Amino acid sequence: MSLRDRFLNLSMHDRAQTVNLPLITTPPEDNDMALSELKGDPKPSLRTNDNCASDAEHVTPQHDASLYRIYRYTPVPTIVADANLSIVEVSDSHLALSGQTRDTLLNTSICDIAPSIVPVPDTASLYGAIRAAISTKQIQLIDDIHLSDKKSYFRLQVTPIFQDRALIYIVFEAHKDTRDRSDSQDHHHAYVNETYKILVDTVKDYAIFMLDTRGNITTWNPGAAIMKGYSASEIIGKHFSVFYSPEDRRNNKPGRGLAVCLRDGRMEDEGWRYRQDGSRFWANVMITPVYEFGRHVGFVKVTRDLTERKAAEGRLIAAFEESSRLKTDFLANMSHEIRTPMNGMRLALSMLTDTELDNNQREYASILEDSTSVLLQIINDILDYSKLSSGSFSLTSDIVEVESVVGAVVRNCKSCLKPGVTLSCSMPPNFPQTMRGDPLRYRQVLQNLIGNAVKFTEKGHVKISTSFAIDTEDPRMYNVSTEVVDSGVGVPGSAINTMFTPFTRFADTTRRKYQGTGLGLSICKSLAELMNGSVGYRPNPDGPGSVFWFTAKMGRTDTRVSMRRSSMLPTDSSENLIKKLREVAPRKHILLVEDNLVNHMVMLKLLQSFGFERIDAAWDGAEAVRLVKQTPLSYNVVLMDISMPVLDGLEATSQIRSMNIDVPIIALTGNALKGDAETYLAKGMNDYLGKPVHRNHLLQVLWKWLGT
Amino acid sequence: MKEHIDKATFDQILEMDDDPDDRDFSMGIVVGFFEQAEGTFKKMEKALEKKDLKELSSLGHFLKGSSATLGLTKVKDACEEIQNYGAGKDKTGTNPITEEDSLKKIDESLATCQADYKVVEKSLRKFFGVENDSEKNVDK
Repeated sequence: MSLRDRFLNLSMHDRAQTVNLPLITTPPEDNDMALSELKGDPKPSLRTNDNCASDAEHVTPQHDASLYRIYRYTPVPTIVADANLSIVEVSDSHLALSGQTRDTLLNTSICDIAPSIVPVPDTASLYGAIRAAISTKQIQLIDDIHLSDKKSYFRLQVTPIFQDRALIYIVFEAHKDTRDRSDSQDHHHAYVNETYKILVDTVKDYAIFMLDTRGNITTWNPGAAIMKGYSASEIIGKHFSVFYSPEDRRNNKPGRGLAVCLRDGRMEDEGWRYRQDGSRFWANVMITPVYEFGRHVGFVKVTRDLTERKAAEGRLIAAFEESSRLKTDFLANMSHEIRTPMNGMRLALSMLTDTELDNNQREYASILEDSTSVLLQIINDILDYSKLSSGSFSLTSDIVEVESVVGAVVRNCKSCLKPGVTLSCSMPPNFPQTMRGDPLRYRQVLQNLIGNAVKFTEKGHVKISTSFAIDTEDPRMYNVSTEVVDSGVGVPGSAINTMFTPFTRFADTTRRKYQGTGLGLSICKSLAELMNGSVGYRPNPDGPGSVFWFTAKMGRTDTRVSMRRSSMLPTDSSENLIKKLREVAPRKHILLVEDNLVNHMVMLKLLQSFGFERIDAAWDGAEAVRLVKQTPLSYNVVLMDISMPVLDGLEATSQIRSMNIDVPIIALTGNALKGDAETYLAKGMNDYLGKPVHRNHLLQVLWKWLGT
Repeated sequence: MKEHIDKATFDQILEMDDDPDDRDFSMGIVVGFFEQAEGTFKKMEKALEKKDLKELSSLGHFLKGSSATLGLTKVKDACEEIQNYGAGKDKTGTNPITEEDSLKKIDESLATCQADYKVVEKSLRKFFGVENDSEKNVDK
């Protein structure tokens, strides 16, 4: 086989093992020539390969016996090959080195003998060197060839012998590398090596060791011995997968790790690793491939024990979650506890204002009323906040009449307007009458934004504009957006980034004291996000003041649901309301379900005082279900206690609903947490009243469900 | 007496009387509550003997409702404790406690509840002029 064929053959069969040129060093003085060759300069001297076969024919090698002896007896282990790479001479010294006989080597191709016999690191390096030698006509050197059985290093010198342009021989000389690697001439290199060795041996907290190319352990530092429990003699030579769990081994995690490491140049991993005694630790592992003169020789592996850190992280997270839970519980419990006496105060106050008072007394009473309602608002904010922050807040799906909600909030806020400030709202005439959403929460956000605008505007105007658009992603949804523009104090630049964060307030305390917890906007933000919308701020472009906007997604309702009620709490005064309720009450039929005699009597009395004449009484849920079943269309409203013997209020409601009876059911509950109320609503109840029942609240809720 | 009776809530009951001089309704309610409370206490004692925590919790809840309606704060609080202990929870109903603890705590709370009840009963009887339940209050 000719040399050209061989190269052709090589490139066909040895694709994967491409010739690694950096392995080959050309003697420095010839760099220029090598470079020009790389640049592709057409130099006639380099085209020797083309002619070599024909040239070799007429220049027949002269077998001069005396000269042949040079190569036979040279102390440098030498192989001489002809232009076809067939071995024509081997020195005795080479036979001594390789342990071969002359007969086995002669007339064999140099490429067909084992790389360690040549000696070269691998066949690819040999090809590379031969190719470079022929094309450059220069001597090529392959350095640092380690012969493990000889425990020594060699350098292979490849010398091409040309006669004119024809290659006649290639001489391979294996020079023993005389540099002693452990005590070398390269003192600096040795010093650095020694320093690293000491460093690695001193490190106790890190396991640092080397693997060979297949993953077998070749070195072991004291840190590794301490961490993994193996002594150096026990572990060296074993595969590093012994540190992995059986499952990891089944998944070939160690092998994949090495593959990733070779591909990416490094590999980092965290996971459980096992000690010799079977105990495990949480390890951070870093594997880096090691190359020596361009050849992959193994891996360095550094392992850190992070068990403590992981445990500390776990404790930290648990402690954080626990404290967050405690905070939420505490807030919820405290608010609950504060609400109970608050309700008593409000009740007494509302009754006080119904009595005959002189002007002074009336003013004091109204101050008391204002303060209690602010206080209640704060408590409700904190309850909402604790619910929102614990993620247990849920929205109800109900009919929202946006126009009337906005109208109600505007009416509500009018009383707080500073003198001379105008409050106006605009809405496109084709605004849908109803949408599907949570009217209470929608109202809460509006109330907050409009309330803020009114509170912080001393002169000028507050304008509310509401618009809608069909959602581009879901045509069954509307995007409802509301803008509240005011000419008030505006928001200082320093507060813009924090104003939606809980417990931050930016009111200018030197000018005026504004009340609040600093929770309002953060609750708005959370609520808007629950409604798949958002809230935001920008300065008023037409002068001082703010623009707060709020968007929410609401479902479309094409057919109007025939529910005989207004979707919002009336804002009439209680005297007005009681007058109106008294007009309709005699025609209404109420079912009161309450197991406690005392509460039953009190509710009955309250209802009678509102003018109701037809009140049926049930003492447990089962009785209520029976009464409703007997006269399904008779009742206009059911007031239902929650905990009762025989059948509780929730189960009774479910049974009534399963009969397809949509009578409004109002829960009477001793629980002030809104989440519980939402559960009731989810079970099919329509509304709820906290116990002890506040007369005005009962009045409002009844009017909401009975008023036309 | 302030700590025993929430005036606002109690006044709501008094407001319901058609005639403030005669107090027919409120007195009926209060006397009805006395009967209910005493009956409930007896049931609680029995349930305590039988170590029936579920029954105790339910009785606590029951009496809590009516005492809250009348504004009898202290009785209401003690009932709520009994309700929570009976449900195997601590005083505020947040963390679980053992059955043994529950029974012990209920024993204490029941005693407190009855003592608080005696105080308000005496004061309410004085208020309505109903001196002793065996003598006069039957005219309800």
